[in-house]
Amino acid sequence: MGGDHAPEQIVQGAAEASLSLPGAEIVLVGDAVELGKILPRLRHDGARVRVHHASQVVEMDEKPAEALAAKPDASITVAAGLVAAGEGDALVSAGNTGASVLAVARSWQLIPGVRRAALASVYPTELRRGDKDDPFSLILDVGATIDATAEDLVTFAIMGSAYAKLISKNRRPRVALLSNGTEAGKGPAAVVRAHELLLEATELNFIGNVEGLDIPRGVADVVVCSGFVGNVVLKMLEGVSETILRMARYAHKQNLAWRLGLAALRPALDQLKSVTDWEQYGGAPLLGLDHLFIKAHGRSSARAITNAIKVASKAQAGDLCGSIGRGMRELAERTGRAGVRAPGDEAGVVT
Amino acid sequence: MGGPKHVFRWDLDKTYLRTEFDSFRDLVKSAIETAADKQAYPGATSLLRALGASDEHRICIVSGSPSQMRSVLAAKLALDGVRYDEFVLKNNLRNIARGRFRALRAQIPYKLPALLESRAGSPPAPHETLFGDDAEADAIIYCLYADLLTGRVPIGDLERILGAARAYPDEIARTLDAARRAAKGPVVGRIVIHLDRRSPTMPFRRYGSRLVPVFNYFQAALVLYADGVLSARQVLFVALEMIDSRQFDLSTLATSMQDLVRRGRLDREIALRLAEEAGEAAASGALAERDDLPPFETISTRFRERLRQLGAAGPLGWTNEDEALDYVALVDEEHHGRKVRRRGR
Repeated sequence: MGGDHAPEQIVQGAAEASLSLPGAEIVLVGDAVELGKILPRLRHDGARVRVHHASQVVEMDEKPAEALAAKPDASITVAAGLVAAGEGDALVSAGNTGASVLAVARSWQLIPGVRRAALASVYPTELRRGDKDDPFSLILDVGATIDATAEDLVTFAIMGSAYAKLISKNRRPRVALLSNGTEAGKGPAAVVRAHELLLEATELNFIGNVEGLDIPRGVADVVVCSGFVGNVVLKMLEGVSETILRMARYAHKQNLAWRLGLAALRPALDQLKSVTDWEQYGGAPLLGLDHLFIKAHGRSSARAITNAIKVASKAQAGDLCGSIGRGMRELAERTGRAGVRAPGDEAGVVT
Repeated sequence: MGGPKHVFRWDLDKTYLRTEFDSFRDLVKSAIETAADKQAYPGATSLLRALGASDEHRICIVSGSPSQMRSVLAAKLALDGVRYDEFVLKNNLRNIARGRFRALRAQIPYKLPALLESRAGSPPAPHETLFGDDAEADAIIYCLYADLLTGRVPIGDLERILGAARAYPDEIARTLDAARRAAKGPVVGRIVIHLDRRSPTMPFRRYGSRLVPVFNYFQAALVLYADGVLSARQVLFVALEMIDSRQFDLSTLATSMQDLVRRGRLDREIALRLAEEAGEAAASGALAERDDLPPFETISTRFRERLRQLGAAGPLGWTNEDEALDYVALVDEEHHGRKVRRRGR
């Protein structure tokens, strides 16, 4: 069981989920002795939280492929295997991202028609969307597939749209391609071709290309890009947010007037903080495989884990993977294209 | 005819019956519900029926519900086919008439003398098993009752404990008298606390291994099977009632068993023996006409698998078995906790 605050916060999050999700059963995979010491200290439902022993764990700073090879009983490998064997429906992990994605990619099957899986991330925006008034838009891929073809980008659009429909209760999510201009001809060849293909995809609400500055504005509900671009964008957005916070702290220290000004803005800042609170979304879903994997942030607290489990449960109840599968079948029927997993394909992960 | 060999003392609300009384609205609802409206926890009815099936067993119910509810509660028990030998309820009208408002909510000054008087007033049994919940002070009351009977808590200390529990002087006198009259001995072998609030189990460890907090009645049945009180067939019927409630399935029952083993409340060997014996019981007809369930071999395999998933991890050990309980501190803590909960509502 990985994560910066594992196992305590992970177990606490699972314990809370066992109380708030009456239909769900949660399997904690990790050191049974450690887990057995933590659970009795927490409110939980003992009929809905079970322990599955795994003697090894991939540390956060280990190289994914090497670590998985050296640790056959790593909790992420065991957990992915349990889901593959039908002992679970979805997997949540706050551990090493690369190792997690690699483990599930090796144990699970791609949905027919999907050539590459995509890791999606949510980002707070100005606009709200869906029945839930959701402030988050979805960006995918943010690191599972470094080089994406035009067909991969179309697949990501289908997967992102299905996810937004289910989780944000957004009946017709606006899907856009991330490029260096809004014009159809802008961007690398794969993006230009994807634009053409997406225009034909009438089942999607494709609004065209968006630029980086449109992401925080919330122009699109689902932003599609390659894993390389998505990862750079996501980390830059995170960096900007952190820098603004640091600058506010700096201003706070500088003089009394600024301090008073920030104090006056406190309620608004608190509201902004709650709106942009990533923990309420739990984590980043890996889409395209026959089961759902939610990659929770390494720093996840119990609350983030509870919410990640809730999202996983909701996605399972709403048959997210089935929904993506139907989308891929429709695409295949329309284009006569049936995606196949390329020999030797494995998720290339940016960490 | 000899006396009973085993007495089972049950609380009702939140132990047998799913009752909400956290708000005034809940109290009103509970008071006007008909017998048919009242819901028992899944498995509790089969368990109580199984315990009441033997002539050597005596079922005593001591509940904090007002005595005005006797007819509806008795009707509910009759509807469920549960027999009982004694049924004690709280006379709250008398408390109101005498202006004793503290007594309306008090648990220890009401329940402890009721338990002691029950034992003093009937042929003493060599074994007792007590059932309560985590909503009030059942764990303290039952342990205190058990320790008074063994002499671990001298009667001289009882007055101080009852004082901490804010008992009225006549309640103290009544309890002391009942404690002197009750037949003594190490009779309370098991205390089962139903975790209605889903309280953490760790704090209950201070009461020792005789007290087992359970999340559901399958766990209670497993504990009683280990104690030699229930047969595998009877455990199977508790499980079937829970499955029929649709709130549990084979997986959650297997997880419940794993939870008990992990907490050191059930030996792996006993769990495995139960799987074998239950298989024999199923083969002899207990699961006849249950084609909604997989073959028993599959069920048994799932239960064994759930134990195997724990690896070689041993259960939590007991370190404080011989430590005497400080009941005054426990009563103070419970009183404080109740005040905090009231403020939080």
